[in-house]
Amino acid sequence: MATTAQTSVTTTVPKRRLSERQRDNFFAYLFISPFFIIFGIFGLYPILFTIYLSFFKWDALNPMKYIGLQNYQFVLEDSIFWTSFSNTLLISVMGTIPQLLLALVIAIFLNSAFTKFKQAFRVMFFMPNITSIVAVALVFSAIYSNNGMGNWLLDTFGLDAVAWNSGWWGVKIAIATMIMWRWTGYNMVIYLSGLQSIPTDLYEAARIDGAGRFQQMIHITLPLLKPFIIFTVMMSTIGSLQLFTEPYVFLGQSGTSSLRSEGITMVNYLYSEAFSNSFFGTAAATAVILLVFTIIFSMINMWASNKLGGDTE
Amino acid sequence: MKAKISDQPSYFTTIFYYLFLGIGAIVSVFPFYWMFVIGSNERGAASHIPPIITIGNQFINNFNRALEKTEFWTSFVNSLFVSTVVTASVVIFCSLAGYAFAKYNFKFKNFLFIFVLGTLFVPQQLSVLPTYVIMAKLHWIDTYQALIVPAMVNAFGIFWMRQYISTSVHSELLEAGKIDGAGHIRIFSTIVLPVITPSIATLGIFTFLNTWNDFFWPLVVLKDKSHYTIQIALQQLFTTRDGLDFGMIMSATFMATLPLLIVFLLFSRWFIAGLTSGAVKS
Amino acid sequence: MSKMKKALMLSTAAIMVFGLAACGSSNNSSNNASKSNSSNTSNASDSSSNASGETVELSFWTLGNTNYEDLANQYMKDHSNVVIKIQNTGDQTAHHNNLTTALSAGSGAPDIFQLEIGFMERFLAAQDSFYNLNDLGATEVKANFLDWKWAQASSVDGSFQIGLPTDIAPTVAYYRTDLLEQAGLPTDPVEFSTLIDTWDKFASVAKQFTDKTGIPFVDSRDLIYNAVRDQADGQIYFDKQSGEFIGNTNPQVKKAYDFTIKGIQEGWVANYALWAADWTQATNDGGFAVLSGPAWMLGNIKSNGPDSKGLWRIAQLPEGSGNWGGSFLSIPKQSKHAEEAYAFIEWMTSQEQQLQTFTVSGLMPSTPALFEAPEFKDFTDEFLGGQASAAEFASAAERVAPIYYGPLHDQTDSYIKEAIQNVQEKDADPQAEWDAAIQKIENLIKRS
Repeated sequence: MATTAQTSVTTTVPKRRLSERQRDNFFAYLFISPFFIIFGIFGLYPILFTIYLSFFKWDALNPMKYIGLQNYQFVLEDSIFWTSFSNTLLISVMGTIPQLLLALVIAIFLNSAFTKFKQAFRVMFFMPNITSIVAVALVFSAIYSNNGMGNWLLDTFGLDAVAWNSGWWGVKIAIATMIMWRWTGYNMVIYLSGLQSIPTDLYEAARIDGAGRFQQMIHITLPLLKPFIIFTVMMSTIGSLQLFTEPYVFLGQSGTSSLRSEGITMVNYLYSEAFSNSFFGTAAATAVILLVFTIIFSMINMWASNKLGGDTE
Repeated sequence: MKAKISDQPSYFTTIFYYLFLGIGAIVSVFPFYWMFVIGSNERGAASHIPPIITIGNQFINNFNRALEKTEFWTSFVNSLFVSTVVTASVVIFCSLAGYAFAKYNFKFKNFLFIFVLGTLFVPQQLSVLPTYVIMAKLHWIDTYQALIVPAMVNAFGIFWMRQYISTSVHSELLEAGKIDGAGHIRIFSTIVLPVITPSIATLGIFTFLNTWNDFFWPLVVLKDKSHYTIQIALQQLFTTRDGLDFGMIMSATFMATLPLLIVFLLFSRWFIAGLTSGAVKS
Repeated sequence: MSKMKKALMLSTAAIMVFGLAACGSSNNSSNNASKSNSSNTSNASDSSSNASGETVELSFWTLGNTNYEDLANQYMKDHSNVVIKIQNTGDQTAHHNNLTTALSAGSGAPDIFQLEIGFMERFLAAQDSFYNLNDLGATEVKANFLDWKWAQASSVDGSFQIGLPTDIAPTVAYYRTDLLEQAGLPTDPVEFSTLIDTWDKFASVAKQFTDKTGIPFVDSRDLIYNAVRDQADGQIYFDKQSGEFIGNTNPQVKKAYDFTIKGIQEGWVANYALWAADWTQATNDGGFAVLSGPAWMLGNIKSNGPDSKGLWRIAQLPEGSGNWGGSFLSIPKQSKHAEEAYAFIEWMTSQEQQLQTFTVSGLMPSTPALFEAPEFKDFTDEFLGGQASAAEFASAAERVAPIYYGPLHDQTDSYIKEAIQNVQEKDADPQAEWDAAIQKIENLIKRS
């Protein structure tokens, strides 16, 4: 720095520009370094371990046995795995797409100037996310039991009872509603936050120009919310592919160690391979396969958002 | 809905609108309310058909039973400590990192950001074993560091802050700040921070919630009863020999959920604050 | 607003500073603790050859509702050089997964671990991680215990013993006297037991009852299936010697399946899901007449069915009893105090202490000599109308035969249960479901 001062008379501008960019880079790397440090110590090893493990047979207690690609063969040839794959996709679509739309709508409503009791509604819609999962499981299994409220409702409308715990659609609908119930408020909070970033005077100007509420939403709100929609879609994609808790909690009530094929998701499959059967190698292979699926789906995601006219930057 | 010049909706629309919100709110709150109902009734209430939905008078009794069986308040304080530290750390580090990804240009930026995202793609269920091994080597088994340090900064937070900062912080303002001679940290604290309070509030709420509810990892790594976090303490109540005492379980669960409600109420004030204090006029 | 922000940032900083400081101090204290532990253990390996002298600290992981803490306190009073620290949880899966993690990581396992039979298989397959109790003196106490219980914790050839038996859970038939009366059936335990003493007789009584009263005879498909399945001759799904899958050829397995299906089709097996709210409610409201369950199920019946006090009795199941549950005390190899630990667990599982456990926690002892003790024989339960319940459980215990499970027992069983559920809830074809289940099981085995 001392040299800069001395030579500043003759070479002020170029020197300062270089050091400014250097300083920019320095601070940028500094700001992102905590993540990489923590990840390097705690995050990297588990991922490498999982990939390594996928080539071995291991029950966690005895030595590992190398078996090459056999785990992948087991998993990819297992019809239950593919069932879990289609379950994951189906339940995700059923549980996530309506949920994001609903969350968006509610967020817009709760951001509107003319809504009263905004704060109260916000709290109430977020409650599902803070209610203990135990309570949630109890309520939903009571509603969806063979003699529970769900079937009682159907009966009042003259419809047949549904086997919520074993039916092909029954189980999926039950789990999808559980997901919708639990996560709509969460995504609503994200959208609400995003709505705060939209300057109010844009709406003012639009209103003066004669745009109605609906038009304001289409032309101002949605475009400016795009980064947040991309965020929620991306996180929901990842979250759906890794769906675990809701099926586990809903179907696990009976105490059996495996999950029914109508509701098993890929991570449930992984989990029972590891912790019920002690097939840790196969579980690791499943994790790697799931990783590949997630990459593929996220890329589709990115491509689709770009196509729909978004600059994500 | 016809587009109107005036912003006031019709009477019919208003009714429908509040009905929609109201039903949604009731459906959302009901299980939480029901949790309190069960916690305040006697043992058999949870499986009663038709379901019991009125509040009883057994809450204190049930909760006292829970207090006898577990170290509730110690675990409560433990959870409070861990969640607060993790939340503070995540908010600070993720906003800085998100800011860097959003507003700086540096080599490998895109690659590094995709890498950060990519760390979210791996399912975490199997990580328990190798992470435990790391903790064993560091002699961090049964300590708070084991819970706090791995969680200090995460990809979700970085992604979130980056999205928020990239739209809400105007680069012209940053330029202006630089021209004025402000240092990087100063620019962040005086120009960026005021605008991103809603996103910090959101990240704060979510991080606190996740840390508070985290069960799997603390269960593996904590051994001594006095170090337990609240979710593990609650697990102690699930002994099936005599059937589950749901009154006791729900009363304790309810008490354990209250802090989350309080944190939400506190932090959510910042949502509105951003709006009323005059968001950025473009 | 900016003032509030400044205050918030300051307080956040303060929390972080305090946090890290506290971290540091807890780090210190836990480091000190771990240091003193490690110095203890390194000394203890000397002291074990020096007999008593140094204080020995034993960590003991227990499961569920037991009186083991009291027992540990008693033991500590008599043995001043031993300190026992107990860690308890009610979550069985977590309890055993924690041990798996600790064993796999090579550190963190306790000196004594309460091992539940449901999780026994995976640990039996990892004998190298445990002390062979036969080497520590277990062969001398073997005769005190029920032979089928002892065998559950032994290697196939009997040379390795992983744990000493604590409690057992023989299955009996709990039945509602009031409902039987309605159907004109005898309600006295001995008479009723005789009436149903073979499965064929059981089925015809069941049909008779349901036809007469319209109420299902049996509470759930899972429990009745278990009752028949557990009478298999020495092995259920897997061959004891070779480990091969025999579930599809073992006649008892098919018998259990067919019997349950028959009950479903004839209407005397209720469609309540085990542990669900409607099953719990039915316990109280008389939604079924008979529940076949282990000794600890009584606790569930009591708390789920307070209104039915005095209406239940215990009868013996047809053709033999099964066992569902029960633990053992084991010593992981990571323990540096194997001898002290063994002395403690031998004491814990001896007759006197098991009697105490029975009186306080209601856990059935595994030492048959105790069945003759007056406190045991004369133990009556008001909920069961004053029936001598302990004696009933003892009779059931004598009728249990040793059975080999195998590591994949749980998963295999759940596929079959899934098939039965499909038949009951979706009117599926029993044979097709059976074939599908066998197919899934064979896929599973390919991976083991």
